[in-house]
Amino acid sequence: MAIRLLAAALAVGILAGPALAAPPRPGGPPKVSVALISEGTSIEPGAPLWLGLRQRIAPGWHTYWLNPGDSGEAPTLDWKLPAGFAADPIVWPQPERLPVGPAMSYGYTNEVVLLARVTAPAEARPGSRVTLRAHVSWLVCEKICIPEEADVALTLPVAAGRPAPASTAPAIERARAAVPAPSPWPATLRATPETVTVAVAAPGLRPDHVAEAWFFPSRWGVIDHAAPQALTVDQRGITLRTARGALPEATATDLDGVLVVRERLDQGIVTQAFAIRATAAGSAADAAQALSLAAAIGLALAGGLILNLMPCVLPVLSVKAIALVSHAQTSSASMRRHGLAYTVGVLAAFALLASTLIALRAGGAEVGWGFQLQSPLLVGGLAYLLFALGLSLSGILTIGTRVTGVGHGLAARPGYRGSFFTGALASVAATPCTAPFMGVAVGYALTQPPVAALIVFEALALGLALPFLALSLMPAWRRLLPRPGAWMERLKQGLAFPLYGSVAWLVWVVSRQTGPDGVALVLLGLLLIGFGAWLHHATRGSGSLPWRRAATGIALGCVAAAIALGPLVTTSPSASSATTAPAGAAWEPFTPERLAALRAQGTPVFVNFTAAWCITCLVNERVALQSHAVTGAFARRGVVHLKADWTSKSPEIAALLASFGRSGVPLYVLYGGGGAPAPPRVLPQILSESTLIEAVEKL
Amino acid sequence: MSDFLTRRRFLGHTSAAILLAGVATRLGPRAALAAVQAKVGDAAPLFTAPATNGTPVSLPSYKGKIVVLEWTNHECPYVRKHYETGNMQALQREATGQGVVWLTLISSAKGEQGYVTAAQADDLTASRKAAPTAVLLDEPGVVGRMYGATNTPHMYVVDRTGMLVYAGAIDDKPTTRRADVTGANNYVRAALESVSTGQPVKTPITRAYGCTVKYS
Repeated sequence: MAIRLLAAALAVGILAGPALAAPPRPGGPPKVSVALISEGTSIEPGAPLWLGLRQRIAPGWHTYWLNPGDSGEAPTLDWKLPAGFAADPIVWPQPERLPVGPAMSYGYTNEVVLLARVTAPAEARPGSRVTLRAHVSWLVCEKICIPEEADVALTLPVAAGRPAPASTAPAIERARAAVPAPSPWPATLRATPETVTVAVAAPGLRPDHVAEAWFFPSRWGVIDHAAPQALTVDQRGITLRTARGALPEATATDLDGVLVVRERLDQGIVTQAFAIRATAAGSAADAAQALSLAAAIGLALAGGLILNLMPCVLPVLSVKAIALVSHAQTSSASMRRHGLAYTVGVLAAFALLASTLIALRAGGAEVGWGFQLQSPLLVGGLAYLLFALGLSLSGILTIGTRVTGVGHGLAARPGYRGSFFTGALASVAATPCTAPFMGVAVGYALTQPPVAALIVFEALALGLALPFLALSLMPAWRRLLPRPGAWMERLKQGLAFPLYGSVAWLVWVVSRQTGPDGVALVLLGLLLIGFGAWLHHATRGSGSLPWRRAATGIALGCVAAAIALGPLVTTSPSASSATTAPAGAAWEPFTPERLAALRAQGTPVFVNFTAAWCITCLVNERVALQSHAVTGAFARRGVVHLKADWTSKSPEIAALLASFGRSGVPLYVLYGGGGAPAPPRVLPQILSESTLIEAVEKL
Repeated sequence: MSDFLTRRRFLGHTSAAILLAGVATRLGPRAALAAVQAKVGDAAPLFTAPATNGTPVSLPSYKGKIVVLEWTNHECPYVRKHYETGNMQALQREATGQGVVWLTLISSAKGEQGYVTAAQADDLTASRKAAPTAVLLDEPGVVGRMYGATNTPHMYVVDRTGMLVYAGAIDDKPTTRRADVTGANNYVRAALESVSTGQPVKTPITRAYGCTVKYS
């Protein structure tokens, strides 16, 4: 308190230019008085201190923002600091729109504090005093413009420990509050020959609450600054459409800027500013957009192939593998037909899924790959299906002969329908898995017109069907398969267990989506199916026909009852797994606010887009994310792990996924720390400890 | 802040209110204005304006010649930088010496900074030893608005076929510091060199810097 800030009284506005034969200009005192102010009363060795250049601007006059608009000039600050001291670039509070005739200026009126962080060297000697100097020049305009300049200085004692707040600390704090906060929302920049559209994916805003929104580009030439900005607020976020600027190539690169939103709240209008980076459509940063259709088809095909090995597909495929061995002795023609039927089944199932997905998205729903598993109903249904399939492999259920193409006497029957449904089943079971390459291809597909989207999905389907199709078409390959025999029965029974495992997993997914009551209902349903299966099997081929019919009726009744339980399973919001992290967990739940706050603080952030129904995600968590080496590396680098759990619907998560050209999980994104808004890094979908640690160490 | 950012899930009632009502009407006149506005790569808008000697000067009469348009306001500190260092006059002499037509335009409204009568304009030309082909008085601001001139100085180059090939700043040092004139990359000079040899202009559009044009 004893320390007085020698706040920079050197503000000498030097009117521009020597006095040549100039006509009279507004003379007198400078239009802006400037001062260097500090947040603290001292500066700590090795620590940054917030300083501010305060401009007090004469009424009716204005100074300029980073992008001054159609005319004018941003202020410059040339530091003259003692050795070892370093200053960061100016941090600009949000600007105002200042129309001048047909032109638009971006700047400040009345008073503004431009912020800059100055860091003292670690070896600065406590007890000494330092004078921080800068030469400042700025343009101040009313209708006419006057360049002014001044030398400012601030003398502070060097002292160990956190500085006490100076009397000017509130002004610094106010300025910091006016600095645009990093926006958690993805933004895109699209241009036509006449217009530029900036779309900010901030879903869930109440359209009637947004009174006004303006976009301030950080550079000239992208938009016509003076043109009106047509505002649209809908469930997808904020869209501003305006006239295109003069520089044709300006829309081809990503654009930093400030979005100022005025929101009508109960207590009045609240103005907030967000720093956004609008990704230029078609730029390299927008990988999904940059893909050609051919490349997307290639990626989808590769993704489909790899899908065969995914833990959620393997059980179903193992069933088909047995069928293949069973078929080994039938004619080649019949084999081919089985292969084709299976392929058609896969293609049809994907076509159905993709059409539903495309239609839902056309209707405005924020859904992506695996969306069907966001419904506990469908998860429960899949659990029933896999359970029935498992029972069939265990030899308890025989209706599977027709439905799934496995079981007794398969080789004897054509069973093409069975092959078809196996294909369909494999497709349904595959949906929770996002194979590498698939994420990019599916993300691309969903931004395309329906026909192109369907082509990409069918390429994915073809990739999934390809191994089996190839085996069925190439008799020579089949000779590599073992001969059928008694071992098949044992293997089949053994393969039931991966299916039961899948059922257990799906029940766990339901537990995450609904809570204990939902689990109880699904388990009851499984019990009914098990009982029905047993009853049907036990009475089959024995007793009188009426007795068998009655048993079949009861069995079917059990299945019907199990299905009827479905509607009782509802998502309970309180059970949403994303809302809380268990005590001591190394992660925090994702919210756009938290991400924004962390990035504002310059904290590096790892965002883990996951879902309980995504097996790939869970494998990654077990293998990489929860390892001690990884959590250790995160802790060392101060990386905050945010978990964006997409188990249930979330428009915020869908929007952030979309900004990376994705429509499904998993997705892993690493945001660097520090003040500089470096682009976030997308990590591979199959994570390993070493990839993660390497990425984190590089920060 | 928190209220705005609060997670809101109103998927149930997603009435997409499109707040276009007021904006559409505001876009109208602007769009109409944009239709006549100059665009680099297009034909330069044709105009006729009185010169200081009272005779009307029209752009089409210079067809076949390269034309430079210079918007000015002699009181603007940015204009003063280029005149008080002799930079603008040197460029005028260099250009007109090669047969380029140099038209200096003043769009300041009466009573605004930079407004001059014909006699005052001639005095300025004499006292500053300027060398334009003509100084045109655009007090109503019609020509200025047609070209979208927002700054002084704001520079345009029209090629021999009447196409606008450059619009923007005089150079790449958007300051009032006189010392910045030396060493600056003069966009107008570069454009004139390209145009006179039939080459495309390398930097056809730049951000003009200076004072706003004081339109009526």
